[in-house]
Amino acid sequence: MLEVTGLKAWYGEAQALHEVSVRVGEGEVVTLVGRNGAGKTTVVRCLIGLHRQVSGAVSFLGRDVTRMPAHQRARAGMGWVQDDRGIYASLTVEENLLLPPTVSERAWTLKQVYEAFPELAGRRKAGGTTLSGGEQQMLAIARALRTGARLLLMDEPSEGLAPVVVARIREIIRQIKATGAGVLLIEQNVAFAATVADRHYLLSQGRVVETLDNSDFRQREGELLKHLGI
Amino acid sequence: MNSKQIRAGAAAMTGVLLLGACGGGGPGGSGGDFTDGKLVLAILNDQSGIYKDASGPNSVKAVRMAVADYKEKYGDKAVVDDIEVTSTDHQNKPDIANTKAKELYERGGADVILDVPTSSAALAVANQAKSHKKLFLDVSAATTELTGGQCNKYTFQWAYNTYMLANGTGTTVTQNGDKKWHIIYPDYQFGQDMAKSFTEAIKGAGGTVQGTIPTPFPNDNFATFLTKAGSTNPDVIGTMQAGGDLINVVKQFNESGLKDKGINLAVGLMLITDIHSLGVDQFAGTMFTDAWYWNMDAESRGWADRFRDETGTRPTFEHAGNYSAALQYLEAVQEAGTDDADAVVGKLENKKINDVFLRNGEVRAKDHLVVHDAYLARVREPSEVKEPWDYEEIVTTIPAAKAFPPAEASACSM
Amino acid sequence: MNALLQYAVQGLAAGSFYALAALGLAIIFGVLGVVNFAHGAFYMLGAVTAAVLLDTLNLTLWWSLLVVPVLMFAFGVVVERLFVQWLLRLDALYNFLLTFGLTLVLVELVKQKYGVSGLPYKPPKALQGRVDLAGVVLPRYQLFVFLFSVAICVLVWLVMTQTRVGMIVRASTEKPELARALGINVGRWVTPVFGFGVAIAGLAGVLAAPFRAITADMGNNFAIILFAVVVIGGLGSIVGAVVAGFLVGLVEAFGQAYAPTFAQILIFVLMALVILVRPAGLFGRKEATA
Repeated sequence: MLEVTGLKAWYGEAQALHEVSVRVGEGEVVTLVGRNGAGKTTVVRCLIGLHRQVSGAVSFLGRDVTRMPAHQRARAGMGWVQDDRGIYASLTVEENLLLPPTVSERAWTLKQVYEAFPELAGRRKAGGTTLSGGEQQMLAIARALRTGARLLLMDEPSEGLAPVVVARIREIIRQIKATGAGVLLIEQNVAFAATVADRHYLLSQGRVVETLDNSDFRQREGELLKHLGI
Repeated sequence: MNSKQIRAGAAAMTGVLLLGACGGGGPGGSGGDFTDGKLVLAILNDQSGIYKDASGPNSVKAVRMAVADYKEKYGDKAVVDDIEVTSTDHQNKPDIANTKAKELYERGGADVILDVPTSSAALAVANQAKSHKKLFLDVSAATTELTGGQCNKYTFQWAYNTYMLANGTGTTVTQNGDKKWHIIYPDYQFGQDMAKSFTEAIKGAGGTVQGTIPTPFPNDNFATFLTKAGSTNPDVIGTMQAGGDLINVVKQFNESGLKDKGINLAVGLMLITDIHSLGVDQFAGTMFTDAWYWNMDAESRGWADRFRDETGTRPTFEHAGNYSAALQYLEAVQEAGTDDADAVVGKLENKKINDVFLRNGEVRAKDHLVVHDAYLARVREPSEVKEPWDYEEIVTTIPAAKAFPPAEASACSM
Repeated sequence: MNALLQYAVQGLAAGSFYALAALGLAIIFGVLGVVNFAHGAFYMLGAVTAAVLLDTLNLTLWWSLLVVPVLMFAFGVVVERLFVQWLLRLDALYNFLLTFGLTLVLVELVKQKYGVSGLPYKPPKALQGRVDLAGVVLPRYQLFVFLFSVAICVLVWLVMTQTRVGMIVRASTEKPELARALGINVGRWVTPVFGFGVAIAGLAGVLAAPFRAITADMGNNFAIILFAVVVIGGLGSIVGAVVAGFLVGLVEAFGQAYAPTFAQILIFVLMALVILVRPAGLFGRKEATA
């Protein structure tokens, strides 16, 4: 559903991405792994349309979206789960959920959301950022699911969370995968990535240096950890 | 953009509002009885700000009328043919007035500077006149300092001063029964002078001043100042504000309901443009002192009709005062046969004048104050207004000798 | 006691003008990221328009409160389409130059057309005089200005908190980039929001018309205090703008009563204190400065 070919990106004169090519199929979970500064977040910002100094081609669900503005990409079915979770302090939990427009018939109802995330149901009138870090992460994911997004771009969803919460996120990602939606996961947590993903792109200095399927990835986990400097 | 930039922006904006634009003088030359073979009358006043309507560009037209009248009167006998009238904006700022006056005298070839509203600006120009030994006939500034402690040989005050305003209004209102006063005044030279002059006049007439409140300038909110003044239960609140600030005071006074408590408002300086802009109903019944009124007799009215043909509006006393100052200056030049400042000053001193503006006028030699009849006026009720700008009724004529301070009292020594 | 209450009402009335105008400024900044230095000029235009409508069409204050905001909204839309839209991606300096330049042009145009002495304005009979509230005598018009402004602020607050439009405005203010990435067409709201901000500044001008000198320069001093209000309240904070507006009005009134010469300086002392203690303003969030 997502086909990225030869993506280059610049910040002013400095080139941040060199010929990055990434593919995500339906029901596939794909990770981008790499050190800090490898260009992972830049890839996501290019894909959702917030970084515009790019060349190359991005095709989504068969349409060329390379020049499409961000809000149209969201409406075409890309859901973003920001690395800092992107929860609005000036909106209640429920308003955070209702803010983005629904984009497909797969959209969840509020009822479904609250059944899946009971911790949100009790806090629906609370300010978005009064939730704990883990709850905010749930809210960010729930927000993307409620729109019926076909592809979720998740930036470090496990970062800084307790193991029990990370386990739940793993469960949720598996559920999303089961519905046929795609997930592009940005991760530094190799162990977490290995438990959920089908394929891995190893990013270094703005280039994809290796593409591994999950079994290769598991075998070389120690070497990769070293590479990532973790 | 972040908040630091905003603050910087706000500060920059404040700065820009406080700063002014610049202009330039012209070239000069020399020759004959007339330096550079011509006479230059330079009007230096507010061409764009709050006093623009009171004097401003229309005073330039009034001065041109005086030049035309002079030429018509003397024809071939005129001692000078080439008379130039220039106009410069001082934006009511003493520093700009100072620089512009210097430029006008040194490079603009100005033989006389006219008008100069705003007391602090006028004092700066007087200083330049003194050091350049060139004439300065002030019309629109009111400070008594011009012909008092800071007087000089080349500076004349043509139309009015704070003493005239205070003596007329302060004395009359007090004598008419409003004995207890509270004064609010803008906290700068003119306002301070006015507060002082009024206090003296009120005490002289047997009244008391219960309090004085200095206010920021310019200011648009006087509500609490008025409430505060009203809380001492005076008979009358005297406002020394001028221009837009005066309009704010009157609007907020009318709205405050102090009138219902039996408190009156007396206005220190009012121009007919203020009445026009606020509406005659808002001022109806207010007493004030005027230096001249366009519709006070046939002569003034005849001139006001000419003025209207030139400008499309009726003149303030400042417009008429500038006409008179320019005309009498030209007369003095005609008499002296030269533009030499000392010779012209000699012709002006002790001159008795009756013209459109000055009635029973005399250029006092001691301090160069031009004394003349002044008028206690009342703002008409809307029903009494018969034609546009027909706003005033002259209640009393205050004779020249009583309208201005006696020469003996003047602090001036030249 | 009576005097204190009077000062308070006068302060709240004066604060009403600041609160309304700052509200418009905050909403514009929130959604557009543009600090509108022309806001004082829009306030002035509101008052001038009301005076002209009264003079030419005999439209009283009541009608002007309705008609002028609509006209000012239209004017704001035109200004946004012609000028402001080009600023959105540029450095703040351009934003300052354009909106400040716009102020100079508008002020000068009004001076050319109507002179500097100002325009007359007669308030409706119903709002003249004083009312006696349980022994406290208050000027009727000031009470009206305060109550009317509070009503407008409450109305805006309801729109902001209870409607989808309000939700989008809040989201665009807090994290504009995220809002776009979530599928909100923020650009679509830019023009109406600017128009709304201009309309509400114009409304403040209408309220000021019976009460203040209506001159081309009436917005200049007002704008300076307005920016103090915005800094005190916190840039982009709508609640902060309103609260700071009324607060500054109160400081001004009590300053006039007890330290007349320092009445205006006190406002800037308050601003300096707020900057020292809470640099983002009383209600500002750090995110709002991004």
